[in-house]
Amino acid sequence: MSEPIIQIKQLQKTFKVYKDHKGYLGALRNLFERQYNLVHAVDKISFDVQPGELVGYIGPNGAGKSTTIKMLTGLLVPTSGEVLVNGYIPWKQRKAYVKNIGAVFGQRTTLWWDLPLRDSLDLLQHIYEIPDDTFQQNLGMFREILELDPFMETPVRSLSLGQRMRADLCAALLHNPTLVFLDEPTIGLDVVAKQRIREFIQFLNHERKTTILLTTHDISDVAKLCKRVVIIDHGKILFDGHLNSLLEFFGGRRLLVVDFAEFYPEPSLGEAEIIQQDRNKVIYSFERSSISASKLINQLSENYRIRDLEVRDQPIEDTIRRIYEEQLLYNHPNGKENPSS
Amino acid sequence: MKRAIGLLAKLLRIQVRSQLQYPTSFILEVFSSAIILGFFFVSFALTFSRFDQIGGWTLGEVAFIWGITEFSFGVMDMVFSGFDYDSFGPMIRNGRFDQLLLRPVNITLQVLGSRFVLRRMGKILEGVIIFIYGLSLVNIDWTIGKIIYIPILSFSQVLFFGSLFIFGATTTFWTMERLEILNVFTYGGSEIMSYPMHIFPRAIRLIFTFLVPAIFMSYFPAVYILEKSDPLNAPGVVSFLAPLLGLGMLALALRFWKVGIRNYQSTGS
Ligand SMILES: Nc1ncnc2c1ncn2[C@@H]1O[C@H](COP(=O)(O)OP(=O)(O)OP(=O)(O)O)[C@@H](O)[C@H]1O
Ligand SMILES: [Mg+2]
Repeated sequence: MSEPIIQIKQLQKTFKVYKDHKGYLGALRNLFERQYNLVHAVDKISFDVQPGELVGYIGPNGAGKSTTIKMLTGLLVPTSGEVLVNGYIPWKQRKAYVKNIGAVFGQRTTLWWDLPLRDSLDLLQHIYEIPDDTFQQNLGMFREILELDPFMETPVRSLSLGQRMRADLCAALLHNPTLVFLDEPTIGLDVVAKQRIREFIQFLNHERKTTILLTTHDISDVAKLCKRVVIIDHGKILFDGHLNSLLEFFGGRRLLVVDFAEFYPEPSLGEAEIIQQDRNKVIYSFERSSISASKLINQLSENYRIRDLEVRDQPIEDTIRRIYEEQLLYNHPNGKENPSS
Repeated sequence: MKRAIGLLAKLLRIQVRSQLQYPTSFILEVFSSAIILGFFFVSFALTFSRFDQIGGWTLGEVAFIWGITEFSFGVMDMVFSGFDYDSFGPMIRNGRFDQLLLRPVNITLQVLGSRFVLRRMGKILEGVIIFIYGLSLVNIDWTIGKIIYIPILSFSQVLFFGSLFIFGATTTFWTMERLEILNVFTYGGSEIMSYPMHIFPRAIRLIFTFLVPAIFMSYFPAVYILEKSDPLNAPGVVSFLAPLLGLGMLALALRFWKVGIRNYQSTGS
């Protein structure tokens, strides 16, 4: 295995959140006594990323994803721990380091608000000292894939969210970075726009061998793009591995959708649980490990008249949501570490 | 360094171009702002005209130094627009400062290039007119030294006022970090008053924004150029402290600025 492109050891970021007294007198009191809470946004995490990987970095709101990315891009200095990316310590060797990375923050643009997109991109050519031929070649390609032409002359502030995101992606990649950080690049986009961005990310990773660390709340982004996922919650890494192995452990429930030939008030079915009933149509949920679908189907056909049936896996979104909500990873052997110990 | 300057020039060129998109309205705006700003001087001059001189100074002499200072402030306001408290604050708050940290270019330079308000030509024009008016009224014993010192003085003033802008911008690194939290409780408005940052050093600010520049950046240099007698009987060198003060303040401001950036990187926004 080659040298990891990102090495993170015991990385920690703790914020002091001050509780201020209000008003004039309060302002005066603030000078002398200020109380604060400590927020452990990122709490001693460690993981490596190999060149060429496309890693999904997921977790519920406030988990610490953006804080991690900000430390990896050099925007924030960690409280403790080590980070080595591309051979650099991001916040120490800022100028040299940022030359070879790209970053897109879905929540905010990195372009010049008042300038037409074309001017912004021109400026970036100067800033990154991109040779003319590379610049033209990249720009030509991105304009086509990301369909930028309709708004090349539009000031960035007037772009729609989806257009802006495409513009930001283009801007972050013109200088051929070997490593790209994408913090919620599909946030707020419609299905078509999301799809387009996903295809682009895939293209970057497959065709250009760019290493990508991606955060998102849309699990289908991860399911479509990433082999490896890292799950963080409350600043701790709960899982690091293949999405499939995660789903095998927790995606254990399957759905059996049955269309009965006649109406049964309570078509009970052994260990399967009815989760939805709409006239003749009933959806059962069952544990994959405790009973097989064929057994259930046999039981069904013995007791009821069936018109049609279908076995489905539970949607990944539901699985992941369950993992967050029920904190399944905290007590599971497949979880990275147990925060309570 | 050369590349950095080239980039700055390009940033400024793009902004100038977009601000000159409607040249007629731009020119009108510059002239009208020069006139409006000039009203203050005109009303001052009208009051003054009832006396021959005040405190031993004639109207022409006051206009002379007033014009220089006004000109310098206008130039500063144009060049250091990026550090303007009113535009730098929002830059921190909505995270645009992060974008500067992501680029492989000196940050100070990027802030300088982030805003260039060409409309400040109005103030510059006003300064020039008042200066010329002053020149026409006073009789100066011109020497090479004086001719050289006037642009040096103006440049020093630009640096001095610019440093104040940098100081002001830097304080936002501390005030903004708490803005979001504060906003949860208050509906804005009173927030300015809730910052010790704004209350505490008011006295210091008054001293540095008015007293020091008035005395060392205007009064004493004028004493030298116009050969006034100085009732304070200060030693002659005080007339030449302006460049030192300008450079010194800039050095201090830039150091404070670095500390501010470091703080920003440890607290986030
Ligand atoms: N500058 C800051 N000062 C104080 N607390 C902060 C700061 N930035 C983040 N936090 C806190 O740190 C925690 C992690 O925040 P972070 O933005 O990293 O979460 P996230 O995983 O990106 O969440 P989301 O999915 O909502 O974007 C949160 O509790 C947040 O309130
Ligand atoms: Mg986030």
